[in-house]
Amino acid sequence: MTVLILTCEQDVTADMVVAQLHRRGAPLVRFDPGDLPGEGALSAEYVRGEFRGYLSTGGRVVSMDGLRSIWVRRPGEPAAHAPEPSPWLSAETGQALYGMLDCTAARWMNERGAAARARLKPWQLRTAHHSGFPVPATVVTTYPRVAQQFADQYRHVVVKAVSGRPPGDPPMALPTTLVPSDADFSEVAAGPTLLQRYIAKSADIRLTAVGEELFAARKTAEPGQVDGRFGDTGHTWEPVEPPARVRRAVARYMELARLAYGAFDFAEDAEGTWWFLECNQGGQFGFIELETEQPIADAVAGWLAAPGETG
Amino acid sequence: MKPFAWNYARPAESAPVIDQYSYDSTLQLNVLPDGRPAILDRALLAAVGTTTSTAGSATHFDD
Repeated sequence: MTVLILTCEQDVTADMVVAQLHRRGAPLVRFDPGDLPGEGALSAEYVRGEFRGYLSTGGRVVSMDGLRSIWVRRPGEPAAHAPEPSPWLSAETGQALYGMLDCTAARWMNERGAAARARLKPWQLRTAHHSGFPVPATVVTTYPRVAQQFADQYRHVVVKAVSGRPPGDPPMALPTTLVPSDADFSEVAAGPTLLQRYIAKSADIRLTAVGEELFAARKTAEPGQVDGRFGDTGHTWEPVEPPARVRRAVARYMELARLAYGAFDFAEDAEGTWWFLECNQGGQFGFIELETEQPIADAVAGWLAAPGETG
Repeated sequence: MKPFAWNYARPAESAPVIDQYSYDSTLQLNVLPDGRPAILDRALLAAVGTTTSTAGSATHFDD
């Protein structure tokens, strides 16, 4: 039985898991949907009630019924590397590939429907609340007046992208940013805006959940620091033991979200409370493993290579 | 009128040029010029930022 990894060639975080699968002797195929058609190929046929097919790339072939698990890591857009790429070809290729893979009995990290829902930030916040996490007050609105009232009520609020996607061309980044007290909210009418009560944090927490295994890391924040991803503070990620209450909430969240993998971001306040900020179903873990030496890649490999319910 | 959040956008750091390692389709992972897996060179990985959250955000928004 084979592990299928959907990712691009440049993904060295995937390399960390590939190396662990090699160490375990687990067969794997690394496949970039961007290479289909071309370097990658597929064929599937439906005959008399049976659906059979296979994928091939780089001289490797894997049959649909030979798949143990599928890791959706950093797949390219289907047909992105085709000689004449087009939105139509990407749609056709994506339908063929994922439609075929959805017919298998393989375990997914993460199942695509669950992943799509788990990306929705309003859904994340509600699910986090129901899981038992403290969640900062948040508003998503296109009403400037509502935004102004929210800012007046909480005084210190941050703005962040609803989707997490950075603004387009030229390449831009949108760090979570403290909104000035004299901000003009009239432009809120131009697009849904997410405002959240600012949590004065003493540390950033990244908790990576792999199945039932949890790896939490803590990085001390500078006073007034808002987005820990931007700006080098000189602090490093250190392993930290998650409180029992957080463990229970993570387990509940993963169950409600139907996720096999999730990267949780928390803000730790001065009292030591971990405030839920988001759970990224495809979040990076390489930078955490590099600094903490927590065996996250090995845990991912272990999950992918495990027999599971389908053997 | 531009979206409110765009007032707080900043130019993204340009993606690092990665020419220290290349993909090996036999091993199915990236290797250094001497053939060793790139992940063995942790200093290099940290330097190019390939596995960090913000680097991933350049091409995948859900990091």
